[in-house]
Amino acid sequence: MRTPDLEADVAEILITEQQIRAKVQELGVQLSRDYEGRSLTLVSVLKGSLPFMADLMRAITIPVTIDLMEVSSYGGAATETSGLVRILKDLSASIEGRDVLIVEDIIDTGLTLNYLLRYLRGKNPRSLRICALLDKPARRLVEIEIDYRGFTIPDSFVIGYGLDYGEIYRNLPFIGVLRPEVYTES
Amino acid sequence: MVAEAPTRDHPAGGRPKRRAAVLVEGPRFAHASEAELARILDFYMVRWEYEPRTFPILWNLDGQVVESFSPDFYLPDLDLWLELTTLRQSLVRRKNRKLRRVRELYPMIRIKLLYARDFRALMLKYGRLDVAASLIGADGQVMPGTPLAGSNASPADVARSGTAGEPADVIPVA
Repeated sequence: MRTPDLEADVAEILITEQQIRAKVQELGVQLSRDYEGRSLTLVSVLKGSLPFMADLMRAITIPVTIDLMEVSSYGGAATETSGLVRILKDLSASIEGRDVLIVEDIIDTGLTLNYLLRYLRGKNPRSLRICALLDKPARRLVEIEIDYRGFTIPDSFVIGYGLDYGEIYRNLPFIGVLRPEVYTES
Repeated sequence: MVAEAPTRDHPAGGRPKRRAAVLVEGPRFAHASEAELARILDFYMVRWEYEPRTFPILWNLDGQVVESFSPDFYLPDLDLWLELTTLRQSLVRRKNRKLRRVRELYPMIRIKLLYARDFRALMLKYGRLDVAASLIGADGQVMPGTPLAGSNASPADVARSGTAGEPADVIPVA
């Protein structure tokens, strides 16, 4: 079993810590303006969007509530038991009548978000929009309208700032491209 | 070349596909990668139909169809067609040409072509890169009666028509 090396396993830094910070501030200003006077709930999708959520909520200058959700992923432990996507952690409070913003780390195939949108629409929010730090359009299967987008990235396997490979690398402060040897050798 | 009469499997006529097919309940997947994609779509509750329509793309002077194209999947809720091709480059070129022709003749349909690299990336995303090689290219072609590579389930399990029943612990989608 290969031992991960946080520095050596990064082929290149795609988005620096400074660039992320600036973009999150920019999004915070825009969201504070757009949702002024409204009842905004930020819904973060675990685990990848945790750092983005933590930074974004502090960049927003209007009152917000936050909530967390976790959805099983294909290929994970839940796949064998049910064969269907499952909500591993549901919302802790009602979103009925509230303005909801889904905070996502990355949107690639759009399959998870497509499921989540259908699920959350059923809870009758006043509005439901999406804020994604990273958009990887080359991988899209389901077209999703992204209302707030941080960066559009090329078709590479990225890690860091919440994004993982085998649950590792989430704590890197930047977005990096994982060396292909890491997943071909492991 | 003379077009063949339309049949149930080839409603537009044309030459039948020369592909090995998997005998399963429901659709007959010609390739393990198609079965895997169907499993992924099932997992995320995206309804799909397997090769539901054949698009004629070339006719002879008598107006008979001599070439046609049947995309692998149709996703009715998304009004999207998917074609998955994980075979060698010469076949990819042929498929690209067919796809261009489909887009010229049927500009209203939305169709996506997934190549081997796209499928590999999908497998990497879902932590199934270890089985990707067995699902791609000639290795993924399935002979009648053999189990699907990389599958934990029986072919019958994976060949549902996209209307999978929900276990009790699954929260239904509105």
